[in-house]
Amino acid sequence: MEPPADSRPDHKDGSSRREFIRRLAAISAGLTVAAPLGRAGTITEKRALNDEPPKTDGAGGLMEIALNVNGNTERLVVDPRVTLLDALRDRFDLTGTKKGCDRGACGACTVHLDGRRVLSCLTLAVMAQRKKITTIEGLATGDELHPVQAAFIECDGFQCGYCTPGQIMSAVACISEGHTGSDSEIREYMSGNLCRCGAYPNIVAAVKTAAAKMKGEVN
Amino acid sequence: MTTKIIGKPQDRVDGKLKVTGRAMYAGDRRMENLAYGYLLTSTVAKGSIRAMDTGAAERMRGVLAVYSPFNPLKLYHGLESSEGASSGEIQPPLQDARILNYGQIIGLVVAESFEQARDAAALVTTQYDEDNPVASWETGMQKAFTPEAVGGESATTKILSEGVSSIDDAIKDSPIVLDVTYREPIQHHNPMEPHATTAEWHGDRLTIYDATQGVVAHRLDVAAVLGIDEDLVRVLCPFVGGGFGCKGSMWMFSPLTAAAARALDRPVKTILTREQMFTLVGHRPALIQQLTLGANPDGTLQAVKHDVRSTVSFSKPFVEAAAHRTSRFLYKSPNIQVSHTLVPWDVGGPTFMRAPGCAPGMFALECAMDELAVKLRIDPIELRTKNNAEVFPGKNVPWSSKNLVECYQLGAQKFGWSKRNPEPGAIRDGDWLVGMGMASALYPAHRSRASVKVRLQADGTAQVSSATQDLGTGTWTVLAIVGADSLGLPIEKIRPELGDSALPHAPTSGGSTSVASVTPAVQRATESAKRKLIQVVVRDKKSPFFAMRPEEVVYRDGKIEGGGMSADFGSVLNAIGRSAVEAVETAEPGEEEERYAFHSFGAQFCELKVNRWTGEVRLQRITSVMDIGTVVNLKAARSQIIGGIVFGLGMALMEGSVLDEKTGRYGNANFADYLVAVNADVPDMDVYFIDKPDTIFNPLGARGIGEIGITGMPASIANAVYNATGKRVRDFPILPEKLLPVGLNQPAISMVESI
Amino acid sequence: MRPFTYELPSGVSEAANLGRPDSAFIAGGTTIVDLMKLEVVKPSRVVDINALSMRGIEMSTDGLRIGALEKMSDTALHPEVVANYPVISEALLKSASAQIRNMASIGGNLLQRTRCGYFRDVNTPCNKREPGSGCPAIDGENRMHAILGTSSSCVATHPSDLAVALVALDASVRLQSASGERLVKLDDFYLVPDSTPHRENQLLPGELITEIRVPRLAWATRSTYLKIRDRESYEFSLASAAVALDVNGDQIQDARVAVGGVGTKPWNLPKVREALTGKPLAQETFAAAAKLAGDGAVPLKRNAFKVDLVQRTIIRALMTLGGLA
Repeated sequence: MEPPADSRPDHKDGSSRREFIRRLAAISAGLTVAAPLGRAGTITEKRALNDEPPKTDGAGGLMEIALNVNGNTERLVVDPRVTLLDALRDRFDLTGTKKGCDRGACGACTVHLDGRRVLSCLTLAVMAQRKKITTIEGLATGDELHPVQAAFIECDGFQCGYCTPGQIMSAVACISEGHTGSDSEIREYMSGNLCRCGAYPNIVAAVKTAAAKMKGEVN
Repeated sequence: MTTKIIGKPQDRVDGKLKVTGRAMYAGDRRMENLAYGYLLTSTVAKGSIRAMDTGAAERMRGVLAVYSPFNPLKLYHGLESSEGASSGEIQPPLQDARILNYGQIIGLVVAESFEQARDAAALVTTQYDEDNPVASWETGMQKAFTPEAVGGESATTKILSEGVSSIDDAIKDSPIVLDVTYREPIQHHNPMEPHATTAEWHGDRLTIYDATQGVVAHRLDVAAVLGIDEDLVRVLCPFVGGGFGCKGSMWMFSPLTAAAARALDRPVKTILTREQMFTLVGHRPALIQQLTLGANPDGTLQAVKHDVRSTVSFSKPFVEAAAHRTSRFLYKSPNIQVSHTLVPWDVGGPTFMRAPGCAPGMFALECAMDELAVKLRIDPIELRTKNNAEVFPGKNVPWSSKNLVECYQLGAQKFGWSKRNPEPGAIRDGDWLVGMGMASALYPAHRSRASVKVRLQADGTAQVSSATQDLGTGTWTVLAIVGADSLGLPIEKIRPELGDSALPHAPTSGGSTSVASVTPAVQRATESAKRKLIQVVVRDKKSPFFAMRPEEVVYRDGKIEGGGMSADFGSVLNAIGRSAVEAVETAEPGEEEERYAFHSFGAQFCELKVNRWTGEVRLQRITSVMDIGTVVNLKAARSQIIGGIVFGLGMALMEGSVLDEKTGRYGNANFADYLVAVNADVPDMDVYFIDKPDTIFNPLGARGIGEIGITGMPASIANAVYNATGKRVRDFPILPEKLLPVGLNQPAISMVESI
Repeated sequence: MRPFTYELPSGVSEAANLGRPDSAFIAGGTTIVDLMKLEVVKPSRVVDINALSMRGIEMSTDGLRIGALEKMSDTALHPEVVANYPVISEALLKSASAQIRNMASIGGNLLQRTRCGYFRDVNTPCNKREPGSGCPAIDGENRMHAILGTSSSCVATHPSDLAVALVALDASVRLQSASGERLVKLDDFYLVPDSTPHRENQLLPGELITEIRVPRLAWATRSTYLKIRDRESYEFSLASAAVALDVNGDQIQDARVAVGGVGTKPWNLPKVREALTGKPLAQETFAAAAKLAGDGAVPLKRNAFKVDLVQRTIIRALMTLGGLA
């Protein structure tokens, strides 16, 4: 039995909360600068726009953008300062993508843009338009895990699990790039994802296992 | 239940959540009306704040508040550890203008969005009256002091043979003497998940989602600092993105965030930046360790003297007990003396870091043993075996279970130690010099009082709950495994719960204690729940077991049996209209602590190569043998050891925080410059377990496993580097330049004297 | 990060017109977004150049042309690059991580900023970031800093591996601005700090790197990039060497040597090249030539070892390339 995804106090309303946030993502035009979702939309909007006229950011303005995340296109209004990572986490409530350093030095925020692995912390959200964004939440098909996800469980390719979404997104790309020819090749091509728990040998095993499965060598 | 589950490789029960991104960490919490906090930190190490200009930040759109010493939130002192708390720091922030270290909290910006808070924070300007910080060994030594006690013993603890007046006399009388000094820099835990707090008030009640290794201790501490009754606080932490010790204490940003949420009447989330992780949540202190070993020519130790100096902050004592937790007892010697001195620096406070005391202490002791073996021309394993301690020195109590010699033997066999050439530099692989090294591993086994609730439910499942934590250590799965084992149910039927201060209390997950402490309580609570179940089913008229005597009814593998009948407990509960039967039990260590010593042991071996031109060290293979009592989950246990090994590899070869002596500022406070091992650094490794249950320690026979993996690794690497190159590096980490020129047959090129 | 306006021009001249002193061009973003978060750069306008057509990797009789917007990963694995200039491919593959190589453009790679910790921390002085404020690295943390091309105002290392390979190969960059275009030798493009460390290259405001040209060098097929670092991957170099050897029998006909991790710019070593040319293929030749790499080096407290290490790096790379390892 797996533990509840949300801890207890709010998991009972998790689905409705998610829906609330989704809805807000679609109607967030006019929110204060890149305002994150999960707030009382219109009331705050009024407060921000009417009650605090002297406040200013200086240059810059809001932009309405459309992002295609895991197959769904959503429109939102953001400040161009917002990174793809913060857009995913704070605006789309897709918190599977993690922030480990926010400086491009750890790989925890790895997502796919048009199937290529990139760091979402160094990608501006506005620049991810017109691209297919895939996050850890978009990898499984319904309840069926992606072979890499399944292999990570089977090989215990993680401990605390915090770097895991980034590792898995990186591993999927590592396999599709064809960089699984040897253990040392896998190690090198998985070196852009730090794991402080030190699950590296198991991550290599998981990548090998998944690569073999995806080639149809193992069933 | 037919097959034994304990000790088998078991997939993590929380695995699916972790691989799909659905495991919610403290910084992932979202709620309506959430505001974002961003900490302001000092850019000088000592002095006081003269003025802060927060106007520009306050005028930024979306900014809700800028708190500072000039606009503070009221906070109270943290609790001392003697009060059951685990405060990383005692002094609350913003209550005065003093600066005690670089990167100290001097403010909190709260805004509608993360970007607004972050960017407003950058607009705050601060003026300081600056003093020179103490941030070097030289200046710190002038203020050095002796700690009151170290792990319950005197700061200088002596065990001397009759007639020996001092350890120095014993050394003087030893035919062979080795006197060496080892140094290591400050190290930072750097879990992948930065510390985070999301605080939400409902009236006067606080719910706080925090990245913590101890929800119960955190609750106590946060309440104290906020000045409220702890009964009003609930701490939730179902997942911790790695802790390694720095999440074992409460740090002040957490109650500060809660205070802001209270003041603003809306939930606030603060996530530390990676840079802030270097100054706000502890570190392993820097150490200088002097080891003096006296021995007979045959290798029998006559004297062991281990003097430790470790750094500490001026505000709160912390002892990295590198000698008291290692040389004090690892080897048999008629004369042993360990001592500890604290050297204060103007830095944020040090704290427990993976295998506190043991990791640095074993680096020094196990390198020294290797150096002694070289000096005596004895095989390092033979030297260690010869000096193996059968009883705990000075106390003369046996270990509850100790199989260290077996670890050496099995390790040597699996690793192929006989292929090692004791002559340094003898084995070559092209331009690489190959070396092999080994070291002992060691970590104390602790357990504390813990409570567990077991709830047998009408749907045929059993809930097993405790306010313990899973730092990636596998506690979710351990609860499920031990619950399944005790109840004879398939693991799928167990519903573990943890990471919630409202559950029955368990200790902070640190010091490799959780499995040892919580599993006995699981076993007790399951037994208690079974008894209760039987009492209930014989009393209810609707029960098929009604009116039987309790002794005639038994619980077996999920079924109730008696009077020739057998029924699933769930169906019986349904039949009598009960949703569940539950029991809470507490387990704690008993008087066995007086009669035994409790430690896990191990032996770690590695082979590595050093480039003869450029000095990089690259690991080739690693073998570890661990004597940790019962293995509960073979898969997670192996992972824990592997993780410790990788940590130890980093400690030996790359980790170290660079503190500027003049400014007290860390020069490498980020993940690009504070190097931790990457995948390509880590070779194949074998892990073996002795798997002898330590039932004196606890009924399951399981000692902790989270930390021992690191303890032998640094020394085994340093010893292998010596075997490869003939160079003894006593100053960690072993960077390439410390090995130049490498080995023999060097090209005729100029050497530059290091300044 | 300061608020900014985002622009997405569709042509080079439009982009060049938007490029003013308070603007920043962005391609992959791996340097600029990082530095904007650190407030090291604070543009009020960010000009996204990804819609421009500066792409393509082609081999012709003149040599190799790489469009500035090509990604590091695509360039590293391009068959013509792998076949003709292994040193370029290897330098790229030893840079950063697979993710960053998928993002970062070739032009951006050449313009990445130093990793000096003082440059990256706006709370400390830095002559490169704030001219005249001072250089704490000279007496502070300087293990990763430069020994070559330094001045009393700056000792920051140039971080690009690719640039080291390109300088060794005598490559040029094509620059385009609103007023026209020009071709500049990469070695000349980069400036040593002297008293103006804030000026790192010849690029003028509004000017863009549009392509890289690498002259044809048939024997560059025998080239390699050796990078020495504290960990095996995902790290900047302590010292690196881009080397190419033209060998006839046991005689060195010609060579190219440049080093990284040690210079304030990618450091070309023509003297080492001369010392190799016409000499026998032997360790002694390499050692004697490599000695010249230390000429003019100014070691600091924590990086003095680099004077030795850079020579060793060159020797090791040449030994490998010469088949003597």
